[in-house]
Amino acid sequence: MKHALAILLLTTAATPALAAKVYVSNEKGNDVTVIDGDTFEVLGTYPVGNRPRGITISPDGKELYVCASDDDLVRVFDPETMQELHTLPSGPDPELFVLHPSGNPLYIANEDDNLVTVVDTQTHKMLAEIPVGVEPEGMGVSPDGKVVINTSETTNMAHFIDAETFQITANVLVDSRPRFAQFSDDGSKLFVSAEIGGTVTVIDPATQEITKVIDFDIPGVLPEAIQPVGVRVTADGKKVFVALGPANRVAVIDGETLEVTDYILVGQRVWQLAFTPDQKHLYTTNGNSNDVTVIDVATNTALKSIPVGQQPWGVVVAPQ
Amino acid sequence: MRYLVLAAALLVPVAAQAATPTADWPCIQRLQPRLSLGQAWTGPTPPDGAAIPAETAALAERLVQRRMTLDEAEAEIAAFAATTDAEGLALLMQAVFHRIDTQRATIIQGISRYGHAQVALAEQVETRRRRMAELEAADSPDFDAIDAEERALDIDMRVFTDRQHSLTYVCESPVLLEQRLFALGRAIAAQLP
Repeated sequence: MKHALAILLLTTAATPALAAKVYVSNEKGNDVTVIDGDTFEVLGTYPVGNRPRGITISPDGKELYVCASDDDLVRVFDPETMQELHTLPSGPDPELFVLHPSGNPLYIANEDDNLVTVVDTQTHKMLAEIPVGVEPEGMGVSPDGKVVINTSETTNMAHFIDAETFQITANVLVDSRPRFAQFSDDGSKLFVSAEIGGTVTVIDPATQEITKVIDFDIPGVLPEAIQPVGVRVTADGKKVFVALGPANRVAVIDGETLEVTDYILVGQRVWQLAFTPDQKHLYTTNGNSNDVTVIDVATNTALKSIPVGQQPWGVVVAPQ
Repeated sequence: MRYLVLAAALLVPVAAQAATPTADWPCIQRLQPRLSLGQAWTGPTPPDGAAIPAETAALAERLVQRRMTLDEAEAEIAAFAATTDAEGLALLMQAVFHRIDTQRATIIQGISRYGHAQVALAEQVETRRRRMAELEAADSPDFDAIDAEERALDIDMRVFTDRQHSLTYVCESPVLLEQRLFALGRAIAAQLP
């Protein structure tokens, strides 16, 4: 046992650079909590502007982007030092965004203006404003970077946008108040969550046809508490995780049969999700219990709760 | 004009992802009238109609009081767990849930009454404002009546504004109870064999 511990310590000491850092935006705390993905310890909390919600990181891990919703801009930070590098124009009240797989551009949903704003992350200039449905919110991008998805909460649609021409090429009607759009890594499925509808719609991106609408039924939980928001799919496409808001559960869906296999109790008002790069762990933001839960992806179990700031909203893990 | 803005403020949401406040539910938080046990508990479910022992009920009563710190609650739950089994803990959770959900539902009804009272007060402010305008427009204005109306209007405005400021805290009450329920659920589940 002593030897095993010594080896473990040696290994840990030799690989500090491999620790995946986890960044959590705290909507009410106006800050970002940084967590060590190996030790689950909070490394620090840093102010990032007013009402931070959407959060993402560049593929090279050098720029952390935060939607500062009440500042009407995107703030960009050095993920190592958490010093602000610069800001990006975002249009009013940016809530959620998605980065092109290449790291440029950034597609931002502007809820109040019914627009998606496209911003060049290198020149920091706005490239386009794309009119979409009423109250745009969820943003997704296909793995090949050719198609951007926006969901509009009031129009109840997933809009397919050509990433080069910025034209809408298709609209798919989904359930009430769609919040999030996520492609599978092979690009064969698009998952769109509907908060009020209480469902996840699975769309074939090639034909834009709905292949399945997934319902959730949790014993002992009233249906109105089931409000799907964040969605993540494992790289092999075998598991889909869906955050169910005030149901305080994360649903696990079989990626092939599209049947729900499990519900994991995490924290209160579970909102967004992020995998670690090795996909062993999934982090959930729990807005009302002010913590994040670490889920063990292999066993579908909640490993640990880590207290963070006030009203955690978004989460991203640095690439390795 | 500012009175109109004030009255309208009741019905304007301040957060994009929030609910739209109404007189029935003047909060930006989305209304969830009742909680369900499964939102805070995945442990065993007690048999239907199982009686809650007096000692369990008394402990639940103490646990739901927010003046008891969570550390104290965890210690009491641990001491209780040493004397019971999984079913006993499930009964405790059910008793805690029932108390918090009932208390929360009562508060939600109170918030609804609060919302209606604010709408009525906003209407009263608007009536006084119109009356002031009429008094001021008279050929020979009755300045005593105008002064009296203005004083009444100021009082109504102050009450309205104070209540509106309190609304933020009032609306947080159901959330605080949900947090308490979840934290107690975690503490009880941690003692399950």
